[in-house]
Amino acid sequence: MPQIALATNLAYKIGNKPTGPPMLSKEVASSLSTQWPCRNVQIRQLPHVPSPAILVVHGISATCKSTILRAVLATLEVPHAIVRSSECITGRHLLMKILWNTLEALGQKEEWETSGKGRCEHVSGLAVLLEECLAARPVDNQGKFVLVLDEIDRQREAPHTLLSALARLGEIIPSLCVVLVLSSTPRPLFLQSAAVPHVSFPPYTRKEAIHIILSSDAPVLDGLPDETSSRVYPYFVSTVYDSLIGPTAGSIPDFRSICDNLWPRFVAPIVNGESPPGGNTEWDFSRLLVKNRAIFRHQGESALVHRIVPDETPDSAKRTPRAKTAMPSALPSLPYFSTLILTSAYLASHTPQRLDTIFFSKFSSSSLSARNKRAHHRRRLKVLSQAQAEERQAANDDPSTPNKKGKRTKTRITKSTLSSAFATSSATTSAIGGGAGIAGPSTILTARPFPLERLLAIYHAIDPNPPATPLRVAAVADRIYAELATLRRLRLVVPAASHNAMATSSGNTTADAGDKWCVNVSGDWIGELAKGIGVEVGEWLAGGLD
Amino acid sequence: MDADGLNDALGLSNDKSQNLVGLEIWRDIFGLRANKSFQGAYIYQPSEHGRSAGERPWKRRRVSSTAGRDEQVNGQRFVPLLNGDENAESVQLRYDTYRELWSKQEHKIQDILEDVDAGVLTDVLSFVRDTSPHTCDGCIPTALVTVGSNVSSLSRLLARLNGQLISTEEGSVVVLESGDAPNLKTTLKNIIRATITNTDGNYGYQKFLTDRAGPRLLGYDLDLLHDYVQRKGTKKLVLALRDSEAFDPGLLTDLLSLFKSWLDRIPFTVLLGISTSVELFEGRLPRSCVALLQGKHFEVQEAGNCVDRIYETLQTDSDTNLWLGRNVTSTLFENTSDYFQSPEAFSRMVKYAYMSHFFANPLAVLLAKPDSTVLARNKLCEAIRNLPSFRMFCEDLVEEGSIKQVRDMLEDDEYLIQETPKYLNANQQRMRNMFQAVRVVHICLQYTQSAKKAKVSDLSVRALSGELSESTIVEEMVATTKTLDSDKLDELLVRLGGIITNPEADAIQEDLRTLLETCPESRPLRSGYNINSTVTKTTVVQQRIRLSKGQADLSEQAVEYTNIVDRLVALLQMHLTESLVNPQDLFLHEALLFDLRNPLKETFAPRPRFAIERALSTPFDYLLSSSDVTMAKVSAKQPATAILYQLYLDSGALVNVHDLWQAFYGVFETEEAGGCDDRVIMSLFYGALSELKAFGVIKNSRKKTDHLAKSAWMGL
Repeated sequence: MPQIALATNLAYKIGNKPTGPPMLSKEVASSLSTQWPCRNVQIRQLPHVPSPAILVVHGISATCKSTILRAVLATLEVPHAIVRSSECITGRHLLMKILWNTLEALGQKEEWETSGKGRCEHVSGLAVLLEECLAARPVDNQGKFVLVLDEIDRQREAPHTLLSALARLGEIIPSLCVVLVLSSTPRPLFLQSAAVPHVSFPPYTRKEAIHIILSSDAPVLDGLPDETSSRVYPYFVSTVYDSLIGPTAGSIPDFRSICDNLWPRFVAPIVNGESPPGGNTEWDFSRLLVKNRAIFRHQGESALVHRIVPDETPDSAKRTPRAKTAMPSALPSLPYFSTLILTSAYLASHTPQRLDTIFFSKFSSSSLSARNKRAHHRRRLKVLSQAQAEERQAANDDPSTPNKKGKRTKTRITKSTLSSAFATSSATTSAIGGGAGIAGPSTILTARPFPLERLLAIYHAIDPNPPATPLRVAAVADRIYAELATLRRLRLVVPAASHNAMATSSGNTTADAGDKWCVNVSGDWIGELAKGIGVEVGEWLAGGLD
Repeated sequence: MDADGLNDALGLSNDKSQNLVGLEIWRDIFGLRANKSFQGAYIYQPSEHGRSAGERPWKRRRVSSTAGRDEQVNGQRFVPLLNGDENAESVQLRYDTYRELWSKQEHKIQDILEDVDAGVLTDVLSFVRDTSPHTCDGCIPTALVTVGSNVSSLSRLLARLNGQLISTEEGSVVVLESGDAPNLKTTLKNIIRATITNTDGNYGYQKFLTDRAGPRLLGYDLDLLHDYVQRKGTKKLVLALRDSEAFDPGLLTDLLSLFKSWLDRIPFTVLLGISTSVELFEGRLPRSCVALLQGKHFEVQEAGNCVDRIYETLQTDSDTNLWLGRNVTSTLFENTSDYFQSPEAFSRMVKYAYMSHFFANPLAVLLAKPDSTVLARNKLCEAIRNLPSFRMFCEDLVEEGSIKQVRDMLEDDEYLIQETPKYLNANQQRMRNMFQAVRVVHICLQYTQSAKKAKVSDLSVRALSGELSESTIVEEMVATTKTLDSDKLDELLVRLGGIITNPEADAIQEDLRTLLETCPESRPLRSGYNINSTVTKTTVVQQRIRLSKGQADLSEQAVEYTNIVDRLVALLQMHLTESLVNPQDLFLHEALLFDLRNPLKETFAPRPRFAIERALSTPFDYLLSSSDVTMAKVSAKQPATAILYQLYLDSGALVNVHDLWQAFYGVFETEEAGGCDDRVIMSLFYGALSELKAFGVIKNSRKKTDHLAKSAWMGL
């Protein structure tokens, strides 16, 4: 059974599958539970003869549900078919798979033409076909047939009656037993029939998990005496559980891989022949732990976060700080023109539209220069934003004062278009960010959609090398569209509609002048890029500098 | 409704002129060049391929007849120049020479591109071969390829990877783009179809679906792929997502989790093309999706380096006959640095430049080294005599005193035709020498410049404008060359040896060798110009400190070495001044140098928005006005859409429709005294309004029901 051997949540399978004559139910249970410890109860509960028409097996992932089910079925030598629902794309696909796998298990694969030509559009059709197949078996082999539907609650495009319909299959066809494997906890009466037996696979407790890991020996290392290893390893495993696995609700395979990763580093002082501190001749667990605290802090955390490209070997990672090596690849550079467009898109997304005239208009009516004026407003916005953040904090602490009222008074005090613009923008921010306060200068406003024309206008305002002849300007708008298409392809700038609902328009490439766009990357990177072409983002942004 | 009257009112006497408007706009949009500049508008005639417009198109391509037609078309691709007097042979010659020249250059470009990719290709290939789910902790093996702005390189890479894997029968590469993946079902269907057609063709795919035991499976069932993999014995099935960022993250997660569950049966390897960075990409995916993948990161070389290499090869190769001038060069490199541009796009632009040269320049026929009998002599000679470079050349000859030669060239066609190829060859040689000199400078700079490396393109632009020999770069370079130690100088000489073919250069190299062999222990030798060889003396004279610099005592070898350096510098200076000529001074540079900025710039930067805005705001830039009087800005003679657009330009962000209608009506009212029909004008108004809506410049306002919102501003 190669599928069993390859199933991923099988990492804690120990022995080989026992072969031999069919055992009695009790013997089966005891032999299986030596292979998969801590699952005695569940093994005993699984299909007995005579088995029920429908059985629900549930438990979160990595609790050994499918593995034990398969093992029990294989050991009992009951004819069965297993369908993995996650591999079926549609409901119809699932039904066809069920039919096809059943035929295969019954050895009737050649006679597929008689059973609906392999087609099955609906559950009712499936019931008829399955009944025919099961009836077509030879007379001496008319026992129970078990149909296992793995991860059936994850089925894509499933009609909402699917589960209860499948549950009825067992009632309609007497010789069929349907086992539904769920990874979520079922609602009461979710199959709309009473008295359905459930078998629950709870997550492993601390004791069980440690027992499972310890039932296999510590990884063998050269230069480490077996005696020391067997003495220290149990303590090590329970420390790993308490520090890394327990708090993060990690699964057994995670647990095992972390243990395997950390163990050689943990005992490295012994292997390398370092002398233990404090004049002792022998390393014991507590000394190793004190020496290796850092492992649990740094390496342990990185072991929990999966990266596509695994980090370098620990030695080289220690020597060169990772930040240094990662930096150049973290900041891809864009061509000049695209950078400028991305910067304008960022500014358009992060500046309230009402402030456009203040920040981007080149015609200033006051005696101050445009730049001074901008700086002035920026400072005021900054002060305002801090005041509002504090006030919101206060309002959160004190539930008696309603939040809205405070905001309104603030607006009344400043009484300028500026503050009202800010008040509306901060209202949207707090709606999205949950009023957690203002984190940094560039996150005062979340990215908001903007029309394309605004992007073009801002582009002209911030262009560090404005064209000498205005005739060339016309061509710029047209070139912007081409570059914007590339930026869109890179998902740096996205149409606002797809920003909210990504699924709707991944293949759609049309764009209208009236459509709104939105920037899709963080400000720090854009700030760096813009600096490279001589644009200071903070200078244009509300509350950006200072 | 009186249709004729209406047309008259609009100044559209017949539908032909309406056609013309469209075409003139097209010309602006696509930057099509007119060959007869006096025409105001053009009639677009689609190439008919021997069929009248009314007939239905062929369903199947007729292979035999098209081949014949292609040949016919080939001959007539270029039009006769010299006011139409050029004979057919020269036209053909120009075309053939262009084909020959470009195919040579194209081969070179292809070689460079393959060479550039070779490194990454071997890395990726060995990754694909060596990794399996077991080596990746049960995750899907993933190669992350960051391509930066060099977007096209990935498809080249994938095509070659595919070829390699198929030829060794290890597997194949399936390329998936974000457009192919609107939802999970279609994506799977596309993957399966692409995998099978990749090796077996479309017919094979159909056969595969039908010729199998058992029921017909659904098109998106991965069982099909499993079957295929088993039949073929595929060991590696590489699924390449070309633009991974553009995929919907949810779909990607679904797809990858599906692959993960099939991984024990189908040997998937995923290759993700990333244009930004791994961190950005990873950050966008859900954690559960990232947990499915593990692999390695590869980087493709930036487009800039590639383009530089292509340019260098095209210009400095010894068999080049036509060069790109400095305007073209700077346009090309401006594009590369400012916009997303692939090496392919770069080479297309160069191709266009070559094409324009041979298409529009009658002198290009000279590059074919034609028999003098073929040419349309008198016209061609006239053309040569009208060249500015010819005039300069003659003036120089007169100054030299060879007046007889000048007279012959001016009067005797036969003589001119005989002489021209000679000069052309000589000047081509001088161009080649010039670019060799550019390479010399470039190589020397690699040894002398420490921080900023000058690119060949920058140097070429300077050389093409004749400024390189006097530039500070070269002066500094010579100064630094003097201070090089013997090891570096040796390397430099070896590299220069291939370029400077001068007995003196060989002699210098020989002398250096013997010098180094005689005293191997004192390496590296330093010349007298080196900073270590000068000594600063401090003396106190009249209670003042005086610093004086003096030459330190040099060893015998060092003196000899200094001699060698002196000789080399002298050689370099002589070589550079000799070969770095100003191409604009060369006779016939019009034939061997293409330096027109305009067709290139216009063609590759179309301006659709500008053209439409111009057509709407000043329609008579494109249309022929029926009356000769210069009219007021808005007039009833213009098309209705244009009138409405101009009124629209005058308004604010919100426009009341009734106001707009009043203004529109007013335009007609003032011009057609009394005789205007409300209903006709109203229908014109509605037509114009809906056209503007179709352009996307107006939309209904949500704030006020009877208002329109402006959504486009002119001149952005």
